[in-house]
Amino acid sequence: MTEKRVELSKAEQRERNLKWLYRILPFFSILLLIIAWIAVSGEGSDFPSPWAVWTRFLKLLEKPIKKVSLLGHIGASLQRVFIAMLIAWVTGIAFGVLIGWSKKANALLGPMFMAFRSVPPLAWIPLITIWFGTGEGSKILVVFIGCIACIVINTQAGMQNVNRLFLDVGTVFNATSKQRLFMIAIPSALDAIFAGIRTSASAAWMVVLAAEMLGAKSGVGFLITRGMDSRDQALVLLSMICIGIVGAILAIVTQIAERVICPWTRTKR
Amino acid sequence: MGEGMELQNKVSVQHLTKYFGNLHVLDDISFNIKKGEFVCVVGPTGCGKTTFLNLLTRIYMPTKGDLFIDGVSANPKEHNLAMVFQEPSSLPWKTVEQNLRFGLELKKLDKKIIDERVEEMIELLGLQEFRDQYPSQLSVSTAQRIIIGRAFGMHPDLLLMDEPYGQMDIKLRFYLEDEVIRLWKELGSTVIFITHNVEEAVYLAERVLILSNKPTTIKEEVKVDLPRPRDVTDPEFIRIRKYVTDQIKWW
Repeated sequence: MTEKRVELSKAEQRERNLKWLYRILPFFSILLLIIAWIAVSGEGSDFPSPWAVWTRFLKLLEKPIKKVSLLGHIGASLQRVFIAMLIAWVTGIAFGVLIGWSKKANALLGPMFMAFRSVPPLAWIPLITIWFGTGEGSKILVVFIGCIACIVINTQAGMQNVNRLFLDVGTVFNATSKQRLFMIAIPSALDAIFAGIRTSASAAWMVVLAAEMLGAKSGVGFLITRGMDSRDQALVLLSMICIGIVGAILAIVTQIAERVICPWTRTKR
Repeated sequence: MGEGMELQNKVSVQHLTKYFGNLHVLDDISFNIKKGEFVCVVGPTGCGKTTFLNLLTRIYMPTKGDLFIDGVSANPKEHNLAMVFQEPSSLPWKTVEQNLRFGLELKKLDKKIIDERVEEMIELLGLQEFRDQYPSQLSVSTAQRIIIGRAFGMHPDLLLMDEPYGQMDIKLRFYLEDEVIRLWKELGSTVIFITHNVEEAVYLAERVLILSNKPTTIKEEVKVDLPRPRDVTDPEFIRIRKYVTDQIKWW
């Protein structure tokens, strides 16, 4: 048998070209952003150029602010976020399962939770500051309040929407109510719970900045306010870029965690 | 009906009536199914065949009347029954193998027995290559095989099947029809098999129950007393098949 290369049809060729285009366009998009940045920071503008931000970055490495390195500031923020998220995940999932599974619990506790979640988390900052001061605990509490609602809501929705058929399977196989909850309902709600976890990570990262901007001695939120106070635009921009990168990494990490813990969600055809 | 008869009946349905709101689904149905009998239920689409099974497994409760299994009011907790659902009901978060283990694990059987049964079912249903895949990666008919394996693996005394082979291609359907007969003979189970395929019903059943349109009653019972394995080209087979088809066509 002779090997013969199959000629692509016109339509197939167009498809292949389009595929290439879709691969290249995202890089082009980033390039456009940088060009726009260079353009607005040109001659006569006091907006810092990419080069100025880079030198500010090198200077920050040499001369840390408050004796904490840039990574140290990011670490301080991340630490607050992770402690708060961990507590929020444990309590939020437990509470969401409770009100999502038990109609009685939902009737009793649901309205209370609705009242709580209709207040934006940042509105708690003054009261928390009055009660607990501006220490580490207060910041963690603010972040906790900021990310618990989305976990509870997603978990509750997941538990309420468990496919009736799966519970019927449990009935036929004579599952106990404990087995129905732990072997059917919770596993089938896992992807909804993970949606909550993903949202909570971005919410927590947003709220920690706000908490730090209102009084902290470390963290990226502090860094950005320090830049504002000293009219150091390069520092502000540098902090913004760091915040963006860390936020993106957080999103990617939670997505990978979801794929590892719920492998069936990625196998949908 | 004497006391002695009661004991031989695996399933006894007495004056079963079911309304969903104002919708009258089942109308005062009474019949018995003997221990070890293979009964097929045929009837027009949407006539309440599935509702009947769901009443037997207590997914729904009857409006009037009751169903008895082994002489006591039906209760999945008391009886070793298994059901093959019509819809794809494999659990999406479990692999094929984990799905097959699921029912057995709920019953807390010995791990050795579970391993044995799961291997048996994987072999029986030809699921070797799919063992570690999730249902969402499989075709509908392959996913349905999981559900059949999950039910067969329970070695139930009472096996309920709700149009289990509707999604299958002919070759697989013929194979699984013979397998359900084999399992029925081996385990001495009682089988209630719902289908809209008349040939399938006549091929499998000792007795065919023909249901009417809603509100559903039993229109007729047809005994099928042919030797097995049955030959679908046998004139007697064809006669019965035609007869059942005509009964369904009647309205």
